[in-house]
Amino acid sequence: MSVAMSVFDPTAPESSAPLQTRRVLDGLKGKVVGFIDNTKPNFHYLVEDLSRMMLDRYGVKSVLKRSKGKVSIPAPEELISDLAVECDLVITGSGD
Amino acid sequence: MGQSQAKALGHPSLPIVIIPHPFGSQSRASVRQIAEQCMLDIARVVCEAGPAPAQSTQAGPRAAMIEVGDDLDTVNQLFRERRWSDGLPIVPPTAERVARMLRGTARSRDEVVAIVAPGFGAASVELIAVNAVLAGCDPEYMPVLIAAVEAMTSPKFNLQGIQASTNPAGVWMIVNGPLAKRLGMNSGINALGHGNWANSTMGRALRLILQNIGRALPGELDRSTLGQPGKHLFCCAENEEQSPWEPLHVERGYRADQSTVTVVGAEGTLNMNTHSKDAAEMIRVMAETIRRPTGNDYCKGGDPWMVLSPEHAAILKAGGLTKAEVKRMLWEASRLPANRMAVIDMKRTMNRRQAELGEIRVDTLLPICVAPEGLGIIVCGGPGTHSAHVSSFGNTRSVTSEIDCSRP
Repeated sequence: MSVAMSVFDPTAPESSAPLQTRRVLDGLKGKVVGFIDNTKPNFHYLVEDLSRMMLDRYGVKSVLKRSKGKVSIPAPEELISDLAVECDLVITGSGD
Repeated sequence: MGQSQAKALGHPSLPIVIIPHPFGSQSRASVRQIAEQCMLDIARVVCEAGPAPAQSTQAGPRAAMIEVGDDLDTVNQLFRERRWSDGLPIVPPTAERVARMLRGTARSRDEVVAIVAPGFGAASVELIAVNAVLAGCDPEYMPVLIAAVEAMTSPKFNLQGIQASTNPAGVWMIVNGPLAKRLGMNSGINALGHGNWANSTMGRALRLILQNIGRALPGELDRSTLGQPGKHLFCCAENEEQSPWEPLHVERGYRADQSTVTVVGAEGTLNMNTHSKDAAEMIRVMAETIRRPTGNDYCKGGDPWMVLSPEHAAILKAGGLTKAEVKRMLWEASRLPANRMAVIDMKRTMNRRQAELGEIRVDTLLPICVAPEGLGIIVCGGPGTHSAHVSSFGNTRSVTSEIDCSRP
């Protein structure tokens, strides 16, 4: 290799977002579970099936179903903050 | 994608369950089977601690530098291996070149202009300059790039959706005002094509920013099924001198002597060749061209655009039409009967646009965007009978930012 030169790395550095640790659950029994329907095809069926199984088989206390409204737009802040207060676990989806 | 975004947002241990693609086209019975496995996975991952998060890497204000062999081939080999280029050779971003690029702006080198989705990388002025060097920009282009970064990170532009979607949308830059001429931008013959240094390198630089700072690498966070040539670069100036109407930036409340950049979440161009000399007839054939059952704009109520050639614009003007009237007439004439869509797409549209349009029936005429004012129009190009329709990502709204032309 010839004499070295220095060039800039054009990519953004790794995130400086503060690390947040999540709560590890001891199981689903007695928990309140929230769903944010991403409005993609079939996701509402998945929510329906998972809700039923959670309630019937896993002893989940209750299920809250919300929809983010538009598929490629983030869920409203208010919806997220409400679910964060009410739920032990929130499930959403990404992709097709 | 979920893991990358969770990490970028400070949640590296977010529990994720994976359902194999494709999911949306599965039958109801298949979804039930998928849900069974999915349920088992969810019950497991929410009880697992997951890997201990590594110490957060605090992003320093300055971009990192690396040593590489002192010849162009070696530098390009490195950029190729690390996927730091757009697939084309780059200009090495040496300290000297970056310093020269930074002389094109009065903004502080360390200032973070915006956070760029979907990887949520911090676009410092310095990093914008580094990517501008890669693309071959002149320093005088820096204010345009900074304004474009500001515009495309506005929430209503929905960069997250545009960058990570299976849709082919890219970011189209339209420059208005006196700066376009000072930079030597092309607004005339082949304005949306190749051959002009300012159009090409600025468009390319924005793509590199989207990829290197926004981390939208194809196959990783960029999930576009096909992409489109405009994702390499898509940049032009409006042909204000040959427009019979007020230019885009004046329409949006800026003075004619201000310079702006407008970003559009654009799918690509559809050529419209008509030799019609009659305004009403021209409106009709253009409307018929843009009306199509597979367009995201009709499904979502989008942000469609028309790039009118000076000749076409002159005919519409001679027909007594203002720009606002052209918009209204095209908007009305291009409404699409809902049942021209595939049944599943019509149902999706019914869900998505119900709040905007009320109950949608099979015979409802769907407008391409919420209101006539939402149809963007610029005049661009040279002599000839070709205009273009530019459809949009759908869930996006174009954003115009003023370019800070103050000297450093």
